[in-house]
Amino acid sequence: MTDSIDRRRFLKVLGVTGAGAATVSACGIGPEPTERLIPYLVQPEDQIPGTATYYATTCRECAAGCGVQVRVREGRAVKLEGNPDSPINRGRLCSRGQAALQGLYNPDRVPHPMVRNAGGTFEAIDWDGAIQRLRAKVAEARGKGIVFVTGAEVSSFGDLVDEWLKQIGGRRLSYEPFGFDALRAGNRLAFGTASLPSYDFANAKYVLSFGADFLDTWLSPVEFQNGFTQAHAFDGARSASMAKFVYVGPRLSLTGMNADEWVAARPGTEGTLALAMAQVIVSRHLARQPADASRLVGLLSGYAPSAVADAIGIEQDVIVRLAREFASSGGGLAVAGGMATQYANGAAIVAAVNILNYVAGSVGSLVTFGADMAVGSAGTFADAEALRADMAAGRVALLLVHGANPAHSLPGAFQQALGKVAYKVSFSSYMDETTAACDLVLPDHHPLEQWGDSRPRAGVTAFQQPVVQPVFDTRQTSDVVLQLAGHSGTFKDYVQGKWRGLQPRGRGPAVAADKFVFDALAKGGVYGEAPTRAVRLANDLSAIVPPLLSEERGSGGEDQTVVVFPHPVLHDGRGANKPWLQELPDPVSKIAWHSWVEVHPDTAAKWGLATGDFLALKSPFGRQEFPAWLTRSIRPDVLAVPTGQGHTAYGRYAQDRSANAFELLGVQVNGYGGRTFVVRASATKTGAHRQIVTTEGSPRERGRGTVEVLGIARAQSLRPGQAPFHHEETPEYASAAVEWWAERQHEKAEIGDYKGEQPRWGLAIDLAKCTGCAACVTACYAENNIATVGEDLMERGREMSWLRLERYWLTDAQGEPQGAVNSPMLCQQCGNAPCEPVCPVYAAYHTPDGLNGQVYNRCVGTRYCSNNCPYKVRYFNWYNYAERGGKYEAFPEPLSMLLNPDVTVREKGVMEKCTFCVQRIRGAQNQARLEDRGVRDGDIVTACQQTCPSDAIVFGDLNDRRSRVSQLAGNPRGYHVLAGLNTKPAITYLARVVAQDTPSHG
Amino acid sequence: MVLILALPPAVVYGQQATTASQRYQAPIVKDSGDLKGPRQPIFFRHDIHAGEYKVPCMYCHYSAAVSTEPGIPSLQTCMGCHLYVAGGSRTGVKSDTAAVRAERAQVQLLRTSARDRKPPEWTRIHAVPGFVHFPHMRHIKALGTNGCANCHGDVQNMAQVYQVSSLTMGWCVRCHVQRKVSRDCSVCHY
Repeated sequence: MTDSIDRRRFLKVLGVTGAGAATVSACGIGPEPTERLIPYLVQPEDQIPGTATYYATTCRECAAGCGVQVRVREGRAVKLEGNPDSPINRGRLCSRGQAALQGLYNPDRVPHPMVRNAGGTFEAIDWDGAIQRLRAKVAEARGKGIVFVTGAEVSSFGDLVDEWLKQIGGRRLSYEPFGFDALRAGNRLAFGTASLPSYDFANAKYVLSFGADFLDTWLSPVEFQNGFTQAHAFDGARSASMAKFVYVGPRLSLTGMNADEWVAARPGTEGTLALAMAQVIVSRHLARQPADASRLVGLLSGYAPSAVADAIGIEQDVIVRLAREFASSGGGLAVAGGMATQYANGAAIVAAVNILNYVAGSVGSLVTFGADMAVGSAGTFADAEALRADMAAGRVALLLVHGANPAHSLPGAFQQALGKVAYKVSFSSYMDETTAACDLVLPDHHPLEQWGDSRPRAGVTAFQQPVVQPVFDTRQTSDVVLQLAGHSGTFKDYVQGKWRGLQPRGRGPAVAADKFVFDALAKGGVYGEAPTRAVRLANDLSAIVPPLLSEERGSGGEDQTVVVFPHPVLHDGRGANKPWLQELPDPVSKIAWHSWVEVHPDTAAKWGLATGDFLALKSPFGRQEFPAWLTRSIRPDVLAVPTGQGHTAYGRYAQDRSANAFELLGVQVNGYGGRTFVVRASATKTGAHRQIVTTEGSPRERGRGTVEVLGIARAQSLRPGQAPFHHEETPEYASAAVEWWAERQHEKAEIGDYKGEQPRWGLAIDLAKCTGCAACVTACYAENNIATVGEDLMERGREMSWLRLERYWLTDAQGEPQGAVNSPMLCQQCGNAPCEPVCPVYAAYHTPDGLNGQVYNRCVGTRYCSNNCPYKVRYFNWYNYAERGGKYEAFPEPLSMLLNPDVTVREKGVMEKCTFCVQRIRGAQNQARLEDRGVRDGDIVTACQQTCPSDAIVFGDLNDRRSRVSQLAGNPRGYHVLAGLNTKPAITYLARVVAQDTPSHG
Repeated sequence: MVLILALPPAVVYGQQATTASQRYQAPIVKDSGDLKGPRQPIFFRHDIHAGEYKVPCMYCHYSAAVSTEPGIPSLQTCMGCHLYVAGGSRTGVKSDTAAVRAERAQVQLLRTSARDRKPPEWTRIHAVPGFVHFPHMRHIKALGTNGCANCHGDVQNMAQVYQVSSLTMGWCVRCHVQRKVSRDCSVCHY
């Protein structure tokens, strides 16, 4: 019997019983189960099986309001892309946006309405019963205090809720845990308006951030990253004006990592520094004076650098130099936020930075008011605290919660106050902490399943439409409220009615209202310019005196300053039940699945602390334990902990994991009506230790040739044709012979499919643009069905991410980090691949179009290829991550619905790696063939390229001399990683350019 | 006797309508147990539809020229004719009352499906493993819209469809070699 046993089974049996006793257990490869084909009743006219339909909607993962286009295959949403028509994100999307799919198909969603029964547990109830119950409770509670808590909702839904609450005599509180209260209060102090302006990063010539993490979570990160890259990246054309970026803050966040210079001012003194710089600018006339500059002289008189340098903790001449650079750049943009404004004096710090912008002439040009960003419309912390007080005093009879989880971010006091509310209703789709304490749950549709809109800033109305049928028996909350408010019809009719009124009048002929709405829906919304509003300095400037923070020892022995910062990926905790986000290593610490406390090595040495040792932080409000992570990217006198973990409910990936940093914070309202995220705590070693899961190999590059950095002077001096990083492997005397031999080899190899002109697919990655935000990593997970392996396996190095971000610190002469270089590392598709000759079964082979192919069904799992790969970019399926009910199941129902049908789901025993999105390459080639043309440059966009907010990755045909990628590959800044190994990669990295000459980078 | 008008479906791709005497007559099938191929929930006869009435393949399998998937006709497509066509009125069958009854019963199954909104669950015949991505539209583009028979056999003469080609990789590669088309692994395996 020939071909009676397949190779894999033969080798397996051979290993166990020896050659002689091989048992033939089955003939051929195991049979596939019989499939059934179930036709539609009525064919939907916009779906063609096997091809995708795209719907435009809006991402609601944060309040920025980026537009998305959702790729829908056979009624399932499989990928989110940015909407190129949206002026906010311009076709780009961050990791949290990409992971919205995992929120839609989350296995821990509330599947149907639930009511708490007499025994105290939740039981299912039908929708009519639930709404009846709610109606009855509303009637009961009239006049006794009805409060509706939402997230930041500047939308038709928000308007509807306000209208309904007016009817029934209730009030709404919009609650955002990081609500930018300091920013609003500071703007009011300086300019008399509490609204949020728009920031023009793209046209800035000098960016100075006082803690504002505009690349991670501040206001509108995708938009700002896009603009920042335009100003800061080193492009040949704008080489003379590469904007310098200076970061002022106690620790380096993702944003701080991208700075050219880190000014680690003493915590709380950031405002003092801003005023000192303003004093230098005004007194030395370094910029054109605004008309009312004389009013500032009095305020600034006490802030000469000599007077405040000690308090800030940096030298006088540094302050003067920064002021000079800022003013003389001709476009200085100072932004304040994040950690630097989360102190008790945060508003004053923001006001001080506003003054700095004002004296440098940026207000009205780079900082323009009028946009009124929606994220600044949320209630202040004072409002939230007032609600808590009302609840605790029994003045709230009915509490309704939608899109907010205050029980997680306001633990303790809020939970207690919840107990005093007579009846609590949640509209959440997830059983989070707040919902778990409620009496009635009417689960909302996911934002991808519902009609709606939002107004992220003035002039922009972003539309939301359902892209899939609802996955569970949920109902749109706006429909429920509409019903309760006595309206007839659905929210779809309601909101489309509103949209009809958005047609701008007087610009061209009027279009039929329905057509207008339809066209706008295809674009994702109505996009207009924001009106601008001129602002003047406030009349009373006396409040802009940032008091210094108190550094006394607290009554309980609290002597450490602990900064609680928002996790860039999990944010305020809303991302914690999405495995893609849990498995994504934090861009700065590279830690996944767990929280940590950042400790400077000098401090740690004093305490005898190593990375992984648990530190118990005890503030006057709470006590939590975090494992330490030692890093030089934080001030020695500060500790920092991220939020996001420590959930007590919410789902299988979030629950009972690590610690909740919010527990350390109190609920006191500070001077400007906000919350203080910096707290004094005592830190004691508990003696426990944990192996922290981190994907960091080495924090220093050590001259290995993985990243190259150029000072700007050197970079500007490079001319086309120069190749400073070119590595010549062959010595001069042998080069002719080696070349002759190589040509003979190529002749022999040009047979069959390898003959003739072929594309050679390649990538160019510009490290001057890459910020390390890791949006590309999550996009790759979404596109290529990559499995999440969980914390235990990640500890053993078994993570499957085909694309990883390597972060190497750039250090100054003293060895202190001054930012970092981030390098995306993925399969280099080597021309001379070490993995190809060693595969015994030709599963790893070189394709005619230059890819290093991986044929999953041939792979037998020897893992020799991964062993040989010098970049270590090959990943092995150690377990069956796709097995239904398996131990390491990565896609429990219904998460499996987000799998991309164009990409094979790998089984145990198979090696996988980046394929340059070969499914997209083949798709574009098929499409081109149908249209009788060749593939054009720009037809094929890899998932990582498509989502990168900085446009750092470019894909194309290296053999096409006019393609964008081949021009970038010829750039003098270009180099190959580990070029000395002669692997001839298809990926050209462009060296990072730093705005000042850093003596060493590792 | 009620005159049943059997409306011939629209004919595309330049095939001439033929008279009843010239047309291929699909035979009466008395015992479907002898036929090759898996039994389907409704005894759908390709030899009647595609053979006798010359309905083009892509009338039902509509996405074969534009997509990787050929598409299975929706119930709406079937009912487009069968709302009126009760079956059993073909020449050669009309006279045989048992055959008429049998063919009408199958159409009635279809109409019941449509009325009850429960589509028939067809048994899949042609399938390749999950690690193969077969693009129908590339093959239609290369072989033309009449190229279906190359791989699926003479479906026009099949009362019950059965798998003719082995669909193993060797079979695919042989044709690619003969026609000098790419044999690169990553064209189908990714």
